[in-house]
Amino acid sequence: MTVIAWQSAGPVAAAAIATGGALAAVRRFGSGPDGWRIMPPGSTPRLVLCVAGGLIVLWIAAAVTTGAGASLRFTVMVIAGFSGARVLASEDASVLLTATSMLALVVALASAFADGSGLWPYFGAAVIAAGAGWLPHRTARAT
Amino acid sequence: MQPESAVLLVVAAAALAFAVTFNPLSISRGALLLKGGTGLAASAAIAAVPTFDLVLLILLTLGVLHAAIDGRRAFAVRLRAPIVAVATLAVALVFAHAQGPDELQRFAAVGLVAGLAAAVGLMPYMHPLDPEEPMTSSPIPWIAFVGPVLAAVVVARAQQMLAPDAGGVFGGMLIGLGLLNIAWGSIAAWLTESEVAAWRYSFVADWGLVLCGFGLTLADGGRAALLILFSIVVGRLPLYVVSRQALRDKAVAQRPINFVVAGALAGSAPFVGFVARVLLLRAATQLYWPLALALALGMLLWLPGSLRLGRSLAVPRGRQAIGVALVLAVNVAAGLYPLPILLAARL
Repeated sequence: MTVIAWQSAGPVAAAAIATGGALAAVRRFGSGPDGWRIMPPGSTPRLVLCVAGGLIVLWIAAAVTTGAGASLRFTVMVIAGFSGARVLASEDASVLLTATSMLALVVALASAFADGSGLWPYFGAAVIAAGAGWLPHRTARAT
Repeated sequence: MQPESAVLLVVAAAALAFAVTFNPLSISRGALLLKGGTGLAASAAIAAVPTFDLVLLILLTLGVLHAAIDGRRAFAVRLRAPIVAVATLAVALVFAHAQGPDELQRFAAVGLVAGLAAAVGLMPYMHPLDPEEPMTSSPIPWIAFVGPVLAAVVVARAQQMLAPDAGGVFGGMLIGLGLLNIAWGSIAAWLTESEVAAWRYSFVADWGLVLCGFGLTLADGGRAALLILFSIVVGRLPLYVVSRQALRDKAVAQRPINFVVAGALAGSAPFVGFVARVLLLRAATQLYWPLALALALGMLLWLPGSLRLGRSLAVPRGRQAIGVALVLAVNVAAGLYPLPILLAARL
């Protein structure tokens, strides 16, 4: 995403994206469950979903990844799609906040589609991505 | 800022003032003002920013802040809907700007409608509800306070982003989803066990009319959508706020005031919901008369649910009675003379 931001909006935007992402990653490293969590036992439905989704994505990718700005479109679509899918598959607050950070950064990248907002989306996204991990997430009592 | 969004912001501010003044529960008015003010400021920012990506960032921030405030539902459960909404809208943004077959623009239309439904909390993505939860952390602020401005902005942006062909798909999707929400919301408001859930479903049913109005792409459709949103923010939401104590006490009543409130909630004359329904039926008749027939049949479903909700208000006394009278008066005034609202929104 930093590289894409550099290409589409320059070094300051890229630095904002890199800083926000790095802070979010550092926070995520120190919170959430420990251990290897990729494809644990019981992942068969997800695997089937991936295969079915892959077939659809193949067709879309043929259209999205061609022409000018293909790398930007592909990055935004993949990260937004994965963040949304990750959110639907997890109950863990740390996972959702990580997805929030990723989504904020990629929405900033999407600002390259439109003219007029300058560097503000990048700075805003960096703040959201870096700050999301520090939010308190508790279930409080009803009042 | 669009005039339509500006009008909705003003009525949202009025609804917040009403909630702070007339809330019957013993809660901190300062905290309510702070949370509501944050939502109002975010709505204003959503309406004012120049690009759609900034709208998404504000929506994401608001979703995180809303999930972080006190509530009974888990943090993850409350955060999920806004994230899904932003992800869907972001993918729609990509499709809208992709160069390729026409189908990509149609995907964008589907993404915009799905993202809007997820953000507001409509079928097919209704936010989980805990009847015992405080109103500020419940799904109600999304569907009745922030949602109207967001919908106006998303629809306006969609009209700018989508090609005419995809715009037709967008309208068709809105009408289809609107009919689904009308049927689902009005029947559930009638038959569901929980009174709080019945109130939430009644909002969903009203949103069905809003979606149909936006989807009809005729002037009368837009006018109807605005007036229904007006009735949600300064009619249904304040009446729900006033009913919170009675809902907690499980008190019901069948006095004349309960039937008047039921009439207002059902969109009967002379309330503003009636004018909106007439405009919506007129627009549907111009476009495709069987749609008007389906809408007319759907509108009949409001009656049993509204009678139930009217009873759930019990007998308002003191400050609550003044609040109910004020809400009814505003809705009657807007119903008898809606032109200033429509002129302000330039519709």
